[in-house]
Amino acid sequence: MKTTRCIPAVIAAAFSLMTLGEASVKTDNTVLLPVKNDPTICFRIWFKTGSQNDPAGKEGLAAVTASMLTDASTRAHSYEQILDLLYPLAASYDASVSTEMTVIYGRVHRDNLGDYYPLFLDAITSPAFTQDDLDRIKSLTLNYVENTLRYSSDEELGKAVLYDDIFAGTPYGHITDGLVSGVKSITLDDVRAFYRTYYTKDNVVIGLGGGYDAALLARLQRDLAKLPAGKPAAVPPPKPAALSGFRATIVQKDAPATAISMGVPIDILRGTKDWYALAIANSWLGEHRNSSSHLYQVIREERGLNYGDYSYIENFPGGGRRTVPPQNVCRRQQIFEIWIRPVPAEAGHFALRAALREYEHLVEHGLTKEQFALTRSFLKKYVLNYAPTTMARLGYALDDRFYGIAGSHLAKFRSMMGTLTLNDVNAAIRKHLHYGDMSIAIVAKDAKAFRDELVSDLPSPITYRTKKPDAIIAEDREIAVFPVKIAQEKISVVPVTEEFK
Amino acid sequence: MKPLLAGLCLLSLLAFFSAPAMSDAIFPYKVTTAVLPNGLKVIMIPMDAPGLVAYYSVVRTGSRDEIEPGRSGYAHFFEHMMFRGTKKYPGSVYDSIVTSIGASANAYTSDDITAFHLDFAAEDLPKVIEIESDRFQNLSYDLPAFQTESGAIYGEYRKGVTNPFEMLDEKIRDVAFDAHTYKHTTIGFERDIKAMPEGYDYSLGFFKRFYRPENVVILIVGDIKPDAVMKLVKQYYGPWQKGYQPADVKPEPPQTAERTGDVSYPGKTLPILDMGYKGDAFDPASTDFVAAGVFGELAFGSTSELYKRLYIKEQRVDALSASIPFNRDMPLFEIVARIKKDDDIAPIRGEIEKTIAQFQSTPVDAQRLAGVKKRSRYEFLMALDTPDRVAAHLAQVVAITGGIDAIDAYYTTLAKITPGDVMHAANKYFVPARRTTVVLKGVAQ
Repeated sequence: MKTTRCIPAVIAAAFSLMTLGEASVKTDNTVLLPVKNDPTICFRIWFKTGSQNDPAGKEGLAAVTASMLTDASTRAHSYEQILDLLYPLAASYDASVSTEMTVIYGRVHRDNLGDYYPLFLDAITSPAFTQDDLDRIKSLTLNYVENTLRYSSDEELGKAVLYDDIFAGTPYGHITDGLVSGVKSITLDDVRAFYRTYYTKDNVVIGLGGGYDAALLARLQRDLAKLPAGKPAAVPPPKPAALSGFRATIVQKDAPATAISMGVPIDILRGTKDWYALAIANSWLGEHRNSSSHLYQVIREERGLNYGDYSYIENFPGGGRRTVPPQNVCRRQQIFEIWIRPVPAEAGHFALRAALREYEHLVEHGLTKEQFALTRSFLKKYVLNYAPTTMARLGYALDDRFYGIAGSHLAKFRSMMGTLTLNDVNAAIRKHLHYGDMSIAIVAKDAKAFRDELVSDLPSPITYRTKKPDAIIAEDREIAVFPVKIAQEKISVVPVTEEFK
Repeated sequence: MKPLLAGLCLLSLLAFFSAPAMSDAIFPYKVTTAVLPNGLKVIMIPMDAPGLVAYYSVVRTGSRDEIEPGRSGYAHFFEHMMFRGTKKYPGSVYDSIVTSIGASANAYTSDDITAFHLDFAAEDLPKVIEIESDRFQNLSYDLPAFQTESGAIYGEYRKGVTNPFEMLDEKIRDVAFDAHTYKHTTIGFERDIKAMPEGYDYSLGFFKRFYRPENVVILIVGDIKPDAVMKLVKQYYGPWQKGYQPADVKPEPPQTAERTGDVSYPGKTLPILDMGYKGDAFDPASTDFVAAGVFGELAFGSTSELYKRLYIKEQRVDALSASIPFNRDMPLFEIVARIKKDDDIAPIRGEIEKTIAQFQSTPVDAQRLAGVKKRSRYEFLMALDTPDRVAAHLAQVVAITGGIDAIDAYYTTLAKITPGDVMHAANKYFVPARRTTVVLKGVAQ
């Protein structure tokens, strides 16, 4: 054994099993997460707006406006100058825009705070709003919607189509990035008006974390108090139309495999006892990117049909790129969601049936004692991975404010794992989940053929190149005839070019 | 600011693990290294993260080692097979142990590395050492399990194949390399993935050749006491038998003339121009190698004249960047641009070549060079804030060099880079004879 170096640690993320999510201090417009030994400072400035505030015909305005703050010029500096000034600091700032929240965030080493802070503040309080910046940002957004989302990832496409279908006609009814026509129509006046309405001192919550001092907090509060006054009108929570049985949207495109997402609105939000109970059931059925997911076991591990299969009780954007939940994507209306990663076209119908069959079984029978015990034990420690950094914990602290959770959601999550019983979990399943209503989004090469399969509900047996255990073959026979009948009028076949128009 | 081109990172997995810095001895934590008699190296880094541990098993084998024709993708396939268990802990039992301790467990593969990693509570370290050492020594799977897993691999290929950057990466490697295995991507050629169910015997050999103690480094970071850890490591990994057989990876003969290729993307996309230059293997002591990274930043990064002009002012591209990856052998140093209009591809290419020529003849501004050094230092320090991030950051260098000394060596070299060094690197690497240019265009309208 040899010791190669002994240099005092300069970084210590004060983080502990005992103190997860502790220590956030909340006042009316401030959420603080001091971490004394952290040499970095984290900012999360939350404006209570998001794509739900996009005016009709201007879908995408919330996201474009936020980019006009963080990816564009200020009155003091051109965008080029900002890039030059930020570069040596190894710091940047960015905007996270979701349905209900817009958060301007950044992180800097305390050595560089003096150079960073004026740039960060200017971005929020003193944007230049130039036509050149707007053109560039709109072009990036349009490229994302028209090309990347439609063509480069069928599973992300499927998820977007699912949410659009469930929330059609509500303020949640379009993707955050916007619709092609909406983005094209956005003008500088639209951006200015949106900024004036929502970026006000009465609509902001300051999130500050890490190794900051009292002087920085006072300065930030003073500086943001210079934003104009104004309390925007509240948007009522969306009321998605009730689902009645199954319905499907099948996106027709030249897809090399079939991607499936499905979901149904649920009436529960984090913070309540039932939510944590349901989190156990959901984790067992489909913990995100984890082999403990039962759906993963059935569809991938035992049958090798795809790369993974998961379920959710909260919106989880960017699921293909991240392993733990994002922060600051809170919503007042959530859905229960199942995500089947692309399967070979010939196994699409079978995989859909397999997933629905497992879901029905969960709803009808609940968890067993063993499933409950293992999942509870898993989650109690696994949630530690949700927020290992100051930035992530500050994000959770803001989310706690959104949901009105006293204390910390993550701390509560852990403590609930010690107190919830199997009865609690199965009662929550019975109360909040039901089988039979579901919106299904499918991306397929031959959409009409898939539609005909759903209408006919004929058996969909699959074959394997290899020998499978008898138990799997026997179960396959049941899956292949599991009823998922959908009337033709409840199935839309949509060319991909028609999505997000 | 938004990452403009997320797909770019796929081209160079762990490309700029961090740009350059100012002085030596940048790594801020105490490191304890031990080597068992069987050759297994263990790197332990205690840090102030109460109750948390990151555990990385770094196999110094990646798609680079797939030397046999028709076997591209096996290092990655094998990463999957490692979750299929042993006689003592079959896959389902291994999974339930990992689940019961609430660990975050995963793995990844790229050119030079297969890494298996877990984050978990410190109290569970003995269990983790036991189950990890067991699967590395006693992996056991039958033909049906192997063939079922090949379906999951195909599924992974399918989910990625719609991404234009993956198609581009596949093409530029295939065109640029003749002999070296960097010719293929880590996921492998589709024809080889299709044939995987027939490769059971080959896969068993893969385990015997590469999953050996001399070819593996264990990185343990977080709330640990090295002495106590080593007792367990010796107990559980001690019996592991030597037997590593390095792959006879053929060197790539020198390229003598420019190569080109085209890709038709079966969807809609803006055209993408990828100019790859035969570079050099990672060498932290090499002024040329380190200066090449500085060149990439200064010539094509977000503060470069070209980026500002083409992306911000003229808005002819919506992404532009360079990647100078850290690899065990000679990779491509790439410059990638996504271009707004098809008929602007040639002019943009001309602009990139003009920029290179300018850097070949004119020394860079000293202040900008200092900016790169300062940024890299802070970037590195800010990334080391959790056990997992420390381990993840080190894994690639561990895979390439077998340890972490190269990090300080790299930053020492960087601190000494001069404008003349940058000019020299531009002249050495970024010349037409080393270049492969591939253009990807969409076909759907």
